[in-house]
Amino acid sequence: MKPDSQPPTGPASSDRPILPRRRVGRRRRLDGSGLAGWLFAAPALIMYGLFVLQPLLLTIQYSFYNWDGVGPGEWVGFANYVRVFTDPDLLGPIFNSFRLLIFFSVIPVTLGVVAASLIHRIASSRFGSAATTVIFLPQVIPLVASGIIWGWLLARPGVVNQVLEAIGLERIARAWLGDFGTALPAVGMIGIWVLLGFCTVLLQTGMAKIDPELYEAARLDGAGWWAELRAVTLPGIRYEIGVCLTVTAIAALAAFDIVYVSTGGGPGRATTVPGIKIYIEAFLQRRVGLASALAVALVFLVLAVILPVQRLTREDRT
Amino acid sequence: MPWGNRRLAWRGAFRSRGILALVAVLLAACVGPGAQSTTTSAPEQPTTTAAEATGTTQDSPSTTEMLAEGPSCGTEEVVLNAYFETGFDLPFELADEFSAQFPNVSWDIKQDQFTNLMNATPRLLSGDNPPDLIRLPSMVSLVHDGLLKNLDDYAAAFGWDQWPQSQLLQNRVAEDGTRGSGSLYAMGLNHSLTGVFYNKELADQIGMTEPPTTVEEFDALLAEAKARGLQPIMAWNATASGGGLAFPLQHLMAAYGPIEPINEWIFQKPGANINTESNLAAAEHLQRWIEAGYFPEDVNAIEYTDANARFRGGEGVFIFNGDWENAVYDGEMGDNVGFFLFPPLEEGGQLAAMSAPLTFGIAAGAPNADCAAFFFNWVATNEAARQINVDVGGSNPGGPADLPVPPASAPITNETLAAGAEVAKANGQMDFIANATGAIFAEGWTPELQEMVGGLQDAAGLLEAVQAEYESQLER
Amino acid sequence: MIATRSEKYVGHLFLLALMVFTVLPFVSIFVTALHPSGSLPSGLEWPDQPQWGNFLEAFRVAEMGELVVSSSLIVLGVVPVSLVLATMAGFAIGLLRIPGARWLLLLFIFGLTLPFEGIVIPLYYLAREIGILNTRFAIVLPLIGLFMPFGVFWMRAHFANMPVEVTESARVDGASTWDLFRRIHLPLARGPIASLAILLSIWTWNQFLLALVLVEDPTQRTMAGALGAFQGHYATDIPLLCAGTIVILLPTFLVFIVLQRQLVTALLQGSVKG
Repeated sequence: MKPDSQPPTGPASSDRPILPRRRVGRRRRLDGSGLAGWLFAAPALIMYGLFVLQPLLLTIQYSFYNWDGVGPGEWVGFANYVRVFTDPDLLGPIFNSFRLLIFFSVIPVTLGVVAASLIHRIASSRFGSAATTVIFLPQVIPLVASGIIWGWLLARPGVVNQVLEAIGLERIARAWLGDFGTALPAVGMIGIWVLLGFCTVLLQTGMAKIDPELYEAARLDGAGWWAELRAVTLPGIRYEIGVCLTVTAIAALAAFDIVYVSTGGGPGRATTVPGIKIYIEAFLQRRVGLASALAVALVFLVLAVILPVQRLTREDRT
Repeated sequence: MPWGNRRLAWRGAFRSRGILALVAVLLAACVGPGAQSTTTSAPEQPTTTAAEATGTTQDSPSTTEMLAEGPSCGTEEVVLNAYFETGFDLPFELADEFSAQFPNVSWDIKQDQFTNLMNATPRLLSGDNPPDLIRLPSMVSLVHDGLLKNLDDYAAAFGWDQWPQSQLLQNRVAEDGTRGSGSLYAMGLNHSLTGVFYNKELADQIGMTEPPTTVEEFDALLAEAKARGLQPIMAWNATASGGGLAFPLQHLMAAYGPIEPINEWIFQKPGANINTESNLAAAEHLQRWIEAGYFPEDVNAIEYTDANARFRGGEGVFIFNGDWENAVYDGEMGDNVGFFLFPPLEEGGQLAAMSAPLTFGIAAGAPNADCAAFFFNWVATNEAARQINVDVGGSNPGGPADLPVPPASAPITNETLAAGAEVAKANGQMDFIANATGAIFAEGWTPELQEMVGGLQDAAGLLEAVQAEYESQLER
Repeated sequence: MIATRSEKYVGHLFLLALMVFTVLPFVSIFVTALHPSGSLPSGLEWPDQPQWGNFLEAFRVAEMGELVVSSSLIVLGVVPVSLVLATMAGFAIGLLRIPGARWLLLLFIFGLTLPFEGIVIPLYYLAREIGILNTRFAIVLPLIGLFMPFGVFWMRAHFANMPVEVTESARVDGASTWDLFRRIHLPLARGPIASLAILLSIWTWNQFLLALVLVEDPTQRTMAGALGAFQGHYATDIPLLCAGTIVILLPTFLVFIVLQRQLVTALLQGSVKG
């Protein structure tokens, strides 16, 4: 799914549950579930097949050709893949997307855990729900808007520098998105802003399901916020953390909207991510085969990153 | 600003039948009336090819004498579908004037920033609503893919082949894909000129009484400006606008070496190489400027329009730019802005400037090609259009040799027009290195120049990387 | 739990900081949008004379009227169809447990992980081939397909949790599969369908990449796609760009404020359900 363009980040991905937990005890099948049942499933399957699976197979097909989008393509075997994994111009974006993982995934999830547990255990319910609402806000606006807003915030005359100057740090003020050292973290900052709310709220619901008796017991042991977080909360929200990591990891690896509008991949190639490179190669350079190979690589990369996360979070929940 | 290009098309190399046929059926079933009405709402304009049109007169009564002669916009409602570049008023003003003179013509104009426009161009041209008029600085690959209309017949019909031919050369593409000869595929709305603009007040402060005559003198002025705490050169180098440091770089290249190899590289002559000794010296010179802090420290984040706004606002003694910006400079700075051609290494040496047509093309499948061609001819020959061209565009309108260039309202334009004559006399016209291939700017010059600013790339590496990118793009 | 005074204090401070971090950007573009069009204000500076007219101007130049119509048409094309298809498939997989249901579900779930970039290139050529490039159908049809994984997954979770008794008693009364779906289960699924409708609407509204690649005319795009084009237009005019951004994100913003509770719940259920 990933209803949102860029997958997850938007509200969109927000919710994507990634793998269903297996249900124990299957019910027996109902009568008439054969042909008639398939008729119910068929329309969805057809649309999915036509507009998702078919294009995916075509992407794989294109990736074995040298094709400029016009004329006939030329079969080149794995040459495009070799190039994807040897050409620094194509490897660079992949590395960049891994660096984005830190900002889109690790930081929002960590901050989210802290924020959610504070809201859950410490804040008054009024303040807590106000905080939830506010922090969630960036989730509902288009990622493009987030990119534009932050593009302005991080500009030379923007608020970020203004704040720095106000607290006497004018020496580090700069055009954050135009500086090689800071462009990628600055894009990452946008990701944090967008994804923090999603993580916070999701983790909160996980916490709400924790048996209050566990907190009771922790309290008897004299646990403070921190001890309680480690002993009770974290183990209780493993599954939700897994979902958060999965959703945000997809957002990081498949980032496009935010980068496209805030930096366009620059300066140099400092913020070029696979999505941007695929767009440029496919539609500007018209190396459709190469772009497709990178796209296929991206699909596998996403799977390679999120499957272990799934395993991790599913292990002891049968 | 003039540069960039792209290509793309499609004939269906990978037709997936089966499933597709099914889709087509599904679609036929659910596409209601109006679904396709996204294209121009204009009634189908009978498009005659230029060849036919020259022989036959249009059957509709013509309102103007010119209309009777060749391809025209006819008298029925026409909506010209056009794509322009954000930040440049000239095409918009010409379009308005054209509609004023030919009320049956209206415009559907879309615009975007340079890099975005370049990214979209191949898709636009090969899409099912191909533009009648599109900003298009270089076009070899587009021609190669058959996306652009061949204008030879129009040239014959309108007599463009009687004009001074130097103004059409850059828009010709030969069968072997080199530019500079062959069939005509685009027209310039005018012919621009680049050089150095300066803020007269600030120039006074650094003791510049007259324009520098050698690169060394210019260096001294830059150093003086820096020493006085002024911003020596205002520039742009952000991704969306493209690497504006290519301007000073190319001027330095022309100062350090002959311009022919540069033009050959731009025109994609076989074996052309940008990585030459004199170009290396030029790139090293640019690197010294960067290291000396002559450009704004945040230049990688400055967009084209920001740079100009800051220069107009008094930030920056010099700016490398072209005469298309004249009207805007004049509006805010008036007498305070001056212009000089970039000086040669030795006094009296070769004068050179980038001089490119403000190129527009017609999509091969454009529904209103005749009208668009008629527009080209009108821009170059109509008195009002030529006046707009000079006043708003700031550049030489070109056209027939016997038509005078109208006097400009902005003093700065008279300066650049005079400088243009000098360059023409010295045969010092170059196209832009950013126009060599469609993607060389976005994928070569811009990122490499940005890295040079960031201290991640040196002069030799820059030229090597750009040459490698150039070759990889041509190889296809 | 025992929260010490200092823990409470620091905790609230931390939350407050996060709230400021979230809100400050909105405040900044709002203030910037009030500056005279064409000026280059600095980040947070209240203008001498707030230019409220900028919003009207942005509304006009962004062709908001057309955009709202266009985005609404796209939402109307995508959402109802997606709801019907997803509900039926979710019913088949979750309740009827048709043969192969597990594999079918896995196939859909795979789609949840698929980046748009993985399919956008062929979508462009497919759209060309069947002649829907540059029409809203180029966005609508692929989006329906792309929403199937989530939609089916979501509805399946609902149907899988229905008590078996409901179905069995209906069966005893001799209801056909269709009756079972139409009469019994559809009415019971109203809640999850409504949530799904909200989600899909917002995701459609905010869709960017497909709009960017498949439709050139901004007025035929989604809101987010149009905003991308608007940025290309007015990148040069920061106050107007900010005003336009606000105008364009206002609709979803308002929907959020009004439907806050349902929306957040809906957005979350999807991730944990199942």
